[in-house]
Amino acid sequence: MHTEVTWGLLIVVYLFTAGVSAGAMVASNAAFLLGGDRYERVARWGAYLAPFPIAFGTGVLLLDLGSPLNFYHLFMTLQYKSPMSWGSWAILLFTLLSLLYLYLWLPPRYQVGHVIKRVRAWKGGLAKGMPILAVSVASYTGVLLNAADRPLWQIALLPELFLVSAMSTGVAAVGVAVALSRRWRASHEEKLSLALVDIVLVGIELLIFGAMMIDSQIGTLNQQLAYAVLWTGSYAAAFWIMIMILGLVVPLILKIVEVRGRLPWKWNEWVGLGSSLLVLVGGFFVRYVITYAGQMTGWLR
Amino acid sequence: MTVRMGFVIITSRCIDCDACMVACRAENEVPIGFTRNWVTDSGAVGKFPIVKQMFEPGNCMHCEKPSCLSVCPTGATYKRADGIVLVDDTKCIGCKYCIEACPYDARFLNPVTGKADKCTFCLQRLEQGLKPACVQTCLGKARHSGDLNDPESVVSKLLNRYPARQLSPDAGTRPNIYYIDVPVAEIPSGT
Repeated sequence: MHTEVTWGLLIVVYLFTAGVSAGAMVASNAAFLLGGDRYERVARWGAYLAPFPIAFGTGVLLLDLGSPLNFYHLFMTLQYKSPMSWGSWAILLFTLLSLLYLYLWLPPRYQVGHVIKRVRAWKGGLAKGMPILAVSVASYTGVLLNAADRPLWQIALLPELFLVSAMSTGVAAVGVAVALSRRWRASHEEKLSLALVDIVLVGIELLIFGAMMIDSQIGTLNQQLAYAVLWTGSYAAAFWIMIMILGLVVPLILKIVEVRGRLPWKWNEWVGLGSSLLVLVGGFFVRYVITYAGQMTGWLR
Repeated sequence: MTVRMGFVIITSRCIDCDACMVACRAENEVPIGFTRNWVTDSGAVGKFPIVKQMFEPGNCMHCEKPSCLSVCPTGATYKRADGIVLVDDTKCIGCKYCIEACPYDARFLNPVTGKADKCTFCLQRLEQGLKPACVQTCLGKARHSGDLNDPESVVSKLLNRYPARQLSPDAGTRPNIYYIDVPVAEIPSGT
């Protein structure tokens, strides 16, 4: 059994920020394609946010490497069996295209030459393509752990969990931005829609954890011991308090309160903002707990 | 038949002197605080008067299906035709994915080189026709190495005569270290 942590906080930050970026990108794409001008603020803030968390996370990841100056070797090959190889290419492509997407969303005075006439068409094209890349990046963080030979990380639902969590944190990040923005503050309809989407996503996340709890009862002994680290073992406090209660159940209730809109308007603002921040905290702890607890689990001799 | 290099370790002959760890460190300049091989101690197992204690040496299992190899994003980890799993330092970026993926925790990040580090089967000695340092130094003759596919090798002869087990078969990597727990009075001669 592992007693020390090989992948620490820097990796957790990387997994988390990649998810936030992917989620913000999909939120922007969906708002642009489905909502049009009525959802312009969401689409804009999603585009403005998307490149940065993942770029920061990648920078942090480089710091974690034993030979950071050697990192270019990632991009001199495609190792088809290695999730990290696929993921590195996907993240590179995602970051570059999300920067292009951000550029298209800048005010017109920044658009040069022919771009200005075609901005809408280009935005549309990227908005249709980027979700595929974003979903790849978000679920990659789960597949990454899947491939490392540890019982807890071999949970089949890990990529799905990370994907849904990524989407919910991305939507929450956009929610925070549009709630605080002065220039592009969200309309009431936009806020309600973001809250509704987060309700659905957090609901699915709870269902995935429910499925994992059933899985933990019927799996092999290796898996049962691994799950026990989460449910009752050394990461149980972080799991139940930071993920289940503060990260999922409380924001779910708050979002429902927000959508029902019975509270005074000013209170509702704070409920919306607070619940979005909690979703982000919960998403971070999903990565933290799975990454750390997974390293504590090993195979029976 | 192809060569399949591996180890046979007789736990009943190990006295936990840790000479294999010292020999490996000296041979391969392994930094202090890290080790390419180890001896685990089961502690006292059972209830008096039926008690036993087992020492279990180990190192990289040079698996048939190494998970460290498949996860490597740069192709730095590779498996030679004779089955020995190695790291190409020029390609390794130190991402530690292989360290996570190894079910036997046989790898570590070498703080001096910044690369993933592990047992190399003492390749430099092998090329001179010598056994790995841990095998040569083992005073109880608990450690043995050789071609598992060659019927004339010590390891094959041992496996033919005594029941053996592998560690953590559930991990699915098909390790090439076999453990014999029963007493082995005499070591057969062989390559």
